[in-house]
Amino acid sequence: MNAAVQNMNIPNVNHYIHAYKIAPWRIQRQWIGNILLAVVALAMVATLYLIITSRAAIAGREIQDLTYSITVSQQVSGDLQTLLASLTSASAMERRARELGFRPMEPGEMEYLIVPGYSAPQSYILASAPHLQLSALTIPPVYNQSLLDWMDEKFSSYRGSQ
Amino acid sequence: MRAQYARRTQVLAGVMGFIALAIIVQMTRIQNSAEADVFRQQAENYAYELHTFYPNRGEVYDRNGRLLAGNKTVYEIGVDLSAAKDAHAIAFAVSSELGMDYNQIINLIQNPPEGLSYIVIADFIEAQQALNLQELKKALQEQAPQGTRGGLAGLQFKSHPQRSYPEDALASNIMGFVSREGRGYFGIEEKYDTLLAGNPVQALVPTDPNKAFEIPRVPDGTTLILTINRDLQAAAEQILDESLLVYSAQGGTIIVMDPRNGELLAIAAARRMDLNQFWNYGVIYDNASEFNPAISKPYEPGSVTKILTMAAALDSSTVTPNSTYLDTGSILIGGVNIKNWNQEPWGVQNMVGCLQHSLNVCMATLSMQMGAGTFYSYMDNFGFGHLTGVDMAGEAAGRLKLPGDADWYPVDLGTNAFGQGLTATPIQMLTAVSSVINNGRSVTPHALYAMVRDGRQYNVPAQYAGSPISEQTADTLTTMLAVSLETEGSLALVPGYRIAGKTGTAQIPVNGYYDSAQTNHSFIGWGPVDDPQFMIYVWLERPTASNWGSETAAPVFAQMAEKTIILLDIPPDVIRQQLVAK
Repeated sequence: MNAAVQNMNIPNVNHYIHAYKIAPWRIQRQWIGNILLAVVALAMVATLYLIITSRAAIAGREIQDLTYSITVSQQVSGDLQTLLASLTSASAMERRARELGFRPMEPGEMEYLIVPGYSAPQSYILASAPHLQLSALTIPPVYNQSLLDWMDEKFSSYRGSQ
Repeated sequence: MRAQYARRTQVLAGVMGFIALAIIVQMTRIQNSAEADVFRQQAENYAYELHTFYPNRGEVYDRNGRLLAGNKTVYEIGVDLSAAKDAHAIAFAVSSELGMDYNQIINLIQNPPEGLSYIVIADFIEAQQALNLQELKKALQEQAPQGTRGGLAGLQFKSHPQRSYPEDALASNIMGFVSREGRGYFGIEEKYDTLLAGNPVQALVPTDPNKAFEIPRVPDGTTLILTINRDLQAAAEQILDESLLVYSAQGGTIIVMDPRNGELLAIAAARRMDLNQFWNYGVIYDNASEFNPAISKPYEPGSVTKILTMAAALDSSTVTPNSTYLDTGSILIGGVNIKNWNQEPWGVQNMVGCLQHSLNVCMATLSMQMGAGTFYSYMDNFGFGHLTGVDMAGEAAGRLKLPGDADWYPVDLGTNAFGQGLTATPIQMLTAVSSVINNGRSVTPHALYAMVRDGRQYNVPAQYAGSPISEQTADTLTTMLAVSLETEGSLALVPGYRIAGKTGTAQIPVNGYYDSAQTNHSFIGWGPVDDPQFMIYVWLERPTASNWGSETAAPVFAQMAEKTIILLDIPPDVIRQQLVAK
């Protein structure tokens, strides 16, 4: 009985499966699904691009602001340096020394002591370590690279590695 | 029904597709149209701003790192006419704060030059004054009703650097100054103007923040370290000022140099100006040579030249220190009778006596014995008539007439031997005599110790201008000069230190004749003799307190030498020799 039923049902199932596969609405859904997938992918890429671009723009604006801040800081530093030099100028220091009761030394008042191992001061060295300058070389690519630039770089490096 | 819907859908899709295609076609057409370049150009105009970046002018320090010339921020104050709301308020505020004429400002704002949207009211305004105006503008803005602009809207402030000299007039003759246009005049500022100023960069600056990395980096001008010692400079100026008063001199200069390497430690000039008020230049100086007479004002140096005549005579083996001659008090050369400074004969003298008594007849005799060829060859090698190459703007070469020149006469051979009839600047005299101190080699005087650029310091090596005499001649002459000063009991002597040097008193030619009432007094000396660490040149112009340099310039030298010894920490000879012995 069971075998007979099975023999009878198999053609029907195959028929239904075939009908399901060739149903027009199913093909339409596949098309719609594919198109939606493409749209979602494009939307994701666009969103990512917008996020990256906006971040780069903000970073760029910060760089501009920081560059301006550096300029202002340098101006302030220069002003303070000049002010300090004015306050410690030869005439100002002499006036302050006299006010404190000091007077210029006479040659006869000098006493020289021989200090073993003492060496005279070396020549004046004004140079310090070179400052790190803000330039294209010091800004990470993430702050100035577009998404397309990034993809191009990755693609080039991939090709290069092969 | 389904077929009808399908047809409608197809038509709709076709219409939409057609519209999309039309948009794409139109976009492509516009991109490639004749006007596309114009549009692109307009877009680029807004994408970039042409900007000139002026680097900060390099600073100048003395040899101990004390700032001699720096930069400070000043402001340009202007009005954006499109944003200005109340011209009267702006004119009132600016005129009150800056002390400017109200009517002039209001007229400028209300009747601006045609085509201008921004006008400059004042420039080079001190930071504090600009800050006061900025705070007033801010306060008025806060008081203004919501959504309206304050009374000083449109008033704008642009900062920029200005040269500043913290020491005011100190070393002004060495430094020179910078005009508001940024150009250096005189001294170091002019000589090293290109280095100090740096290179302005003109660049298109992107307004697009994504291109912030394109903002150009403009390196500052080169920073200079001078050989000048600020404290020694201040002392030299103070001593010179006092000397001008004490000896009633019209002018003068004092130079202190390290004879071993030509480093100039101090150059004092009688007239100095506050470099922060450089516009007073025309009031202070009558001509450019007065700015730094040490390098720019040739004069007849007189008897200090006898050092060089004696050097030439010794080096050419014309005489030795013990050679003697009979001084009769006069000698006839080229039809002109040359006499000693006191018009008296000095009898038999050796060469030390010649120097000690500063005998003109002796020197004229030596130059005659050497002959014009030898004598002028030595004078030329000593640098007379040539620039020394000192690194300050405005150096003059002086004049050494030579046989064959239209204005050279045979008597010049005699007078030139004691420093009359030729002209030289004090710096030329120092350079020439440095050969006597420096084993026969003359040094090139210089004021630049080092340059600092991009965090690296480049020290300037000593340069030598030649070897006009031998080492033996230099040693012999130094001893002769030291002995002559000691025997004479010169006022130039410094207790505890052996000094060598020579006084000079030179009559000044007026209208072609020497005026005995007008003289220049000079002294050149150095010490300690066994290890020379300084040489000093003193020149006093037309002092009236005394007729002789031995009574004016010599004590000024001693005063300057004592100060130099203290400031350079030079121990007395006895202690120094103990140190060497150990």
